Amino acid sequence: MAYTAIAGFLSLIVIFPLVWVIATSLKDRRQIIQNPLGLPQVYQWSNYADAWQEGNFGVYFINSILVVIPTALGVVVLSLLAAYAFAMFRFRGKNVLFTFFLVGLTIPLGILIIPIFYQMVSLKLVNNLWALILPQTAVGLPFAILLLRGFIHELPKEVLDAGRIDGCSNWGILRFIVMPLSRPALLSVMIFNIVWVWNQFLLPVVLIQKASARTLPQGLSVFMGRYGADFGLLMAGATISFIPVVIVYVIFQRQFIKGIAAGALSGI
Amino acid sequence: MSVRSLFGIRLLLPPATILRWPKEVSPLIFIFPALVVYTGFFIYPLVKLLELSLYKWDGILARKFIGLRHYQKLLGDERFWEALSHNFYWMIAAIIVPVLFGLLLAILLSRSSMYGSIIFRTIFFMPQVFSSVTVALIWQWIYNPSYGAINVFLASIGLEHLTQGWLGDSGLVLPALFIAWSWVHYGFTMIIFIAAIDAVDEVFFDAAKVDGANWWQQFRHILLPSIRGALTTIILVTAISSFQIFDLVYVLTRGGPGDASMVVPVYMLESAFTLRKVGYGATVAIAMGVVIVGFSVLFLALRGVYKDED
Repeated sequence: MAYTAIAGFLSLIVIFPLVWVIATSLKDRRQIIQNPLGLPQVYQWSNYADAWQEGNFGVYFINSILVVIPTALGVVVLSLLAAYAFAMFRFRGKNVLFTFFLVGLTIPLGILIIPIFYQMVSLKLVNNLWALILPQTAVGLPFAILLLRGFIHELPKEVLDAGRIDGCSNWGILRFIVMPLSRPALLSVMIFNIVWVWNQFLLPVVLIQKASARTLPQGLSVFMGRYGADFGLLMAGATISFIPVVIVYVIFQRQFIKGIAAGALSGI
Repeated sequence: MSVRSLFGIRLLLPPATILRWPKEVSPLIFIFPALVVYTGFFIYPLVKLLELSLYKWDGILARKFIGLRHYQKLLGDERFWEALSHNFYWMIAAIIVPVLFGLLLAILLSRSSMYGSIIFRTIFFMPQVFSSVTVALIWQWIYNPSYGAINVFLASIGLEHLTQGWLGDSGLVLPALFIAWSWVHYGFTMIIFIAAIDAVDEVFFDAAKVDGANWWQQFRHILLPSIRGALTTIILVTAISSFQIFDLVYVLTRGGPGDASMVVPVYMLESAFTLRKVGYGATVAIAMGVVIVGFSVLFLALRGVYKDED
């Protein structure tokens, strides 16, 4: 019971800022100045409508979704194919190739932002969502390959041999045996990439200058710069940005925690 | 079977079978798509980065080869060294504060019998899923000099003299940013520690209690040895991420006031895009990369990436 009380007290560190942000988002200017810490006396719901309108959050949400889906799918599919080959076969140059991929684990994407910008300029992809999708897929691959290769390596050999005896091709073994058995690992890779790409900020700051192509974090920072003094509106914007994430997180919290913990270990 | 013979077969077979996936394909075929994307959008920019650092270039007009001059300049660049020192300061604070707090929470919550343990885990880990811009926005409001939670709270308990312009004060801005960052980061350390502690057999603790070991002895002789691996992992991952601090600083202060909260990633962007010294920005990026790669290689070596290699 004492432990629960301590944990409950400490959890205020997370809960208090969030409750306070939501409380602020429902106040008008006068209430914010006169009563900054308390709960709102009159609920100013119009802050939400205003923030949604002024902030263009609808467009940003759609852009973020359009970046996250191809990137996460791309990482999962490409890394599964590669990890399967690395885990199951012997071939010339295997170690060299694997080490080549491992280079990506040691270098974070942020360092490459300058050359990526000029690469996207020459590919005419600046202000295009593909400028965000392609580099993030590339940088997501090394860790995904490492994780999935380890996972596939541990699969029971008997099942794979049974498949081979039944006449499965390499492709068939991947499709009908390895892929279903790797579901938990694939899910971890997927969730980590979704969260990481959804929250990515540095890349769009440099590569997206057009308002209509902004992603959610970038749009939120622009919104923050423009309405710097209007805290009711700003906190409504903040709430709009974290409420969907919190809902999805609470539903899938087990997978989230596993996926993010595994992914964060890659250090990227 | 090599790639070439595969393509040979594909070309010779009648049309009906071309559409079917070949029965036996070389393993390289499976690696090929990942290799193309990875080489094109990771390795190519990496090579370009090294090349850019050798040129003086404003990003628009013709560039001029200047060899290693940018590296010489970097060694004497006080702004760069100040930014790097801030990253080191950040790293040292980061391997103390969020790690200790995460460990404390993990010890509390890993007693799975505890009421509401799962709910608390969910709450404590939650800031991890927020975008750092959301976190920045929340903390900007907390630190607001006039109406922010901290100053209003201090004033309400009669400590007006302690109220500060947290993010505008060159002595306080870095610790203030660090606290906002820690608010997110401890959730990660907590989860790794919980996994490590849950793996310890309860029997050891019971035996220790029977033998009359106090909590410190239990911690020192049972818990600490069994979480040593997790501790190494956490410290190195934290060190690596300390050199990549960007989002929070960029959104909240852009390195200011003055250069009081300047960190290397922000300095890199400022050099390359604001001041239009692309080659020099690339050199700053490489310097940052050298530090990170050092920690990463250490990390990979300690985790034994090659241990299941045959």
